[in-house]
Amino acid sequence: MTAPAPPTGGAVPPPLRLVGVSKWFGDVVAVSDVSCTIGPGVTALLGPNGAGKSTVLRLLCGLTPPSRGEVQIFGADPRADLGLFGLLGLVPQQESVFESQRALEFVRLAAVLQGVEQADAAARRALAVVDLDPALRRRVGTFSKGMRQRVKVAAALVHDPAIVVLDEPLTGLDPRQRLAMIALLQRLGREGRCVLASSHVLDEVERFGSRVLVIARGRLVAEGDFHAIRALMDDRPHRIRVRTDDPRAVATGLLAAGAAVGVRLDGGAVVVDTDDVTAFRRAVAPVARAAGARLEEVAPLDDDLESVFRYLVGER
Amino acid sequence: MSETEPGAPTALPPATPRVRSLSVLPAIYRLLLATQVTLTRLLALGALGLTAMVVGWAIGQSDPADPVATAARFVNAFGLSLTVPVTALVFASAALGDLTDDRTLVYLWLRPVRRATVVVAAFAAAVTVTVPLVVVPLVVAAALAGGGDEVVRGTALAATVGTVAYAGIFTALGLRVRRALVWGLLYVFIWEGFVARGGDNAARLAVRSVTATILGAASGVDLRLAVLSTRTAYVAPFVVALVALAYASWRLDRQDVD
Amino acid sequence: MTDPGAARILEGGYRRYDGVRSGARGAVESVALHTAQRALGLRRAARFKVLPVLAAVLAYVPAIVYAGLAVLLPGDLTENGVLPTYAQYYFFITAAIVVFTAFVAPEVLCTDRRTGMIGLYLASPLTRTTYLVAKATAVLGVLAVVTLGPPLFLLLAYVLVGSGPDGPVSVAAFVLRIVAAGTLLSAFFGSLSMAVSSITDRKAAASAAVVILLLLSAVVTNSLVEAAGASPTLLLANLFELPFEAVVRVFGEPSDNPELGRLATPVVVGATVAWTLAASALVWLRYRALEVTR
Repeated sequence: MTAPAPPTGGAVPPPLRLVGVSKWFGDVVAVSDVSCTIGPGVTALLGPNGAGKSTVLRLLCGLTPPSRGEVQIFGADPRADLGLFGLLGLVPQQESVFESQRALEFVRLAAVLQGVEQADAAARRALAVVDLDPALRRRVGTFSKGMRQRVKVAAALVHDPAIVVLDEPLTGLDPRQRLAMIALLQRLGREGRCVLASSHVLDEVERFGSRVLVIARGRLVAEGDFHAIRALMDDRPHRIRVRTDDPRAVATGLLAAGAAVGVRLDGGAVVVDTDDVTAFRRAVAPVARAAGARLEEVAPLDDDLESVFRYLVGER
Repeated sequence: MSETEPGAPTALPPATPRVRSLSVLPAIYRLLLATQVTLTRLLALGALGLTAMVVGWAIGQSDPADPVATAARFVNAFGLSLTVPVTALVFASAALGDLTDDRTLVYLWLRPVRRATVVVAAFAAAVTVTVPLVVVPLVVAAALAGGGDEVVRGTALAATVGTVAYAGIFTALGLRVRRALVWGLLYVFIWEGFVARGGDNAARLAVRSVTATILGAASGVDLRLAVLSTRTAYVAPFVVALVALAYASWRLDRQDVD
Repeated sequence: MTDPGAARILEGGYRRYDGVRSGARGAVESVALHTAQRALGLRRAARFKVLPVLAAVLAYVPAIVYAGLAVLLPGDLTENGVLPTYAQYYFFITAAIVVFTAFVAPEVLCTDRRTGMIGLYLASPLTRTTYLVAKATAVLGVLAVVTLGPPLFLLLAYVLVGSGPDGPVSVAAFVLRIVAAGTLLSAFFGSLSMAVSSITDRKAAASAAVVILLLLSAVVTNSLVEAAGASPTLLLANLFELPFEAVVRVFGEPSDNPELGRLATPVVVGATVAWTLAASALVWLRYRALEVTR
């Protein structure tokens, strides 16, 4: 392989980069004009079914060429430089593996094809990382979904890649394995690797890390820290729950103070819609005090990833 | 989005050399051999070879007037027109086609390994399993049919050379189309079985003319479609296989992989 | 009071179907029609039309060429064997018939089992038997495109240029023979192909098995009879040539095959029908025992 040459001026190319990438299959546009850069750490790729997540991952790995635009791995085209695949570990979405092999054989083959010296030892280490016994005699074809998933992860990590791409890595895993997988991804991210994982399990993606890429209908609709994305949504009122002993009085006070654009009584709480969170936070305590009410809780209701995701793709 | 991310890498990862072909060829070869050899295929194609031997034995028992010609025509009609192409088709089209169908090609494709290495391994695996399944029963059938040394030698040569050509073509076909078995049968049945009989020029584009020429030259029997010179019959199949494998490598490099 | 005319509901959610229910017969017709369309590649991407178009070209081009020759050549030449007889014409379209035989039934039967679609069909008014009737109707219909169409076209062309049978009675007799021959071939090859397709869920494997079965039976029986001196009765197992020999008998023409020609007409036609029935029975038995899980 020819190592990706550092550009002049000392800047290091990012691990993964899409520049104006579109991909169409016949008349169907799967990905439309996507540009983004993915650096070290864990990034979650989100999107509803059919949004183009898998196509984006395939493009990034060079598995399919873009119809337009550029895909770069450390500044080079993955379809033009086979050596780049040595820097990449992919966990594909499909369950299929070489059915007749044992787990150790499958991972060792990956090590051999990656040119890893002492492939056997590397394969055993990789299997240990995903908590699988290298001495397991069963063939991979008889494995459960979760076990297959872990074997695929081991095969993707066996050569210690700088970039790890995972398509729906939590699929088929039980809750304990999910926790272990999330911890593994976080660890890989902390080690400075570029980890990109697609998923639709939002509450668990939230724990990968806060950086997300959101795809809807083939277009990149948002990227970055999802809290920051939420803060940028000026057109969406923020929803906050205020628990108090006199919700009616607090609701009236917040409306009168201009700190809320809408209120709804919900048992012992007021659900407030506001388009200026800072003004709301400044106003809520004085309003309660003026109304003689006691504040018990002020909690955001739509600052989680799921709400951000719903706002971004819900009405498309 | 901004070009420079927080936490962007400060140094490139170490260069990964492209893996040397010779060091990975045996591993890929073993894998592809294991994936294409299934019990169903072995039984079905083994039955084809067994049938050839039984019919050859029946012909030998019937004491034909011209045993050499009878045996050569039988081998040409049964072995070289049916057993060799069909067996090569089943295994060679599966060598990479099965991986495309069950979406496991990605585990070979996304590696720093030359495409030609994968294709050569697939071809070698297909030839490895096809040759014993066709050459052994056909040689036995030729001997049982009373063909003598000439027909037996011609059968062994023609079946081996034919396997090389068919395996090359069908390895590439397995990569090129989804239902390679179907398209391969169309080639064998429509082109070689019907169109090639229409004239010498069409026959020259059929592998069957190569095998018929080799068997005809070895046995001295005038066989249908034996229209090539002997030298061409020995050289052309290897050239065809080479071109097919080169195309398959090129194609694999540009392949969309699931 | 609110004026009801100021509002309207465009979509009221789920509503019970109140239209006409066509029952099992409608289901059979519908499945047969859509199956035939699928097999012919209609309303599908271009790549699905390649095989049907290829088969149609193989079947009809010779008929068009011979119709042209009938126009151009003097009458005495056309009557002296330059043009093929109706039975001989089937020799030219063997490839087309085999292509359709190999690919139609696997397409219409294997796909339903592999995708689980058969479960949906059997949840409708269709039973296993009526499902098979619908599928068989489609297969026969599609095969008729190559077994009936070209000879009828040839007859029409010959009649129009004055090289065909004279008089309406004679023409009607030929039409009947063509229909009988076409139906015999369609039924034979259709049932055989369906029998093979009932054994495996893999389309490609079924297609390959059909072609190999036809070729293998021809090569083995011919080798045994011609080279090993076995009885010509063995040729009744020649699944490739037997039905075409039966067609020769339907047209009352002399056989081109010296060995098969030695067998009596009732034996040849009877064996063809027997194979058809046996293959159909195998399909029925396979589907009767089929486990439908979804």
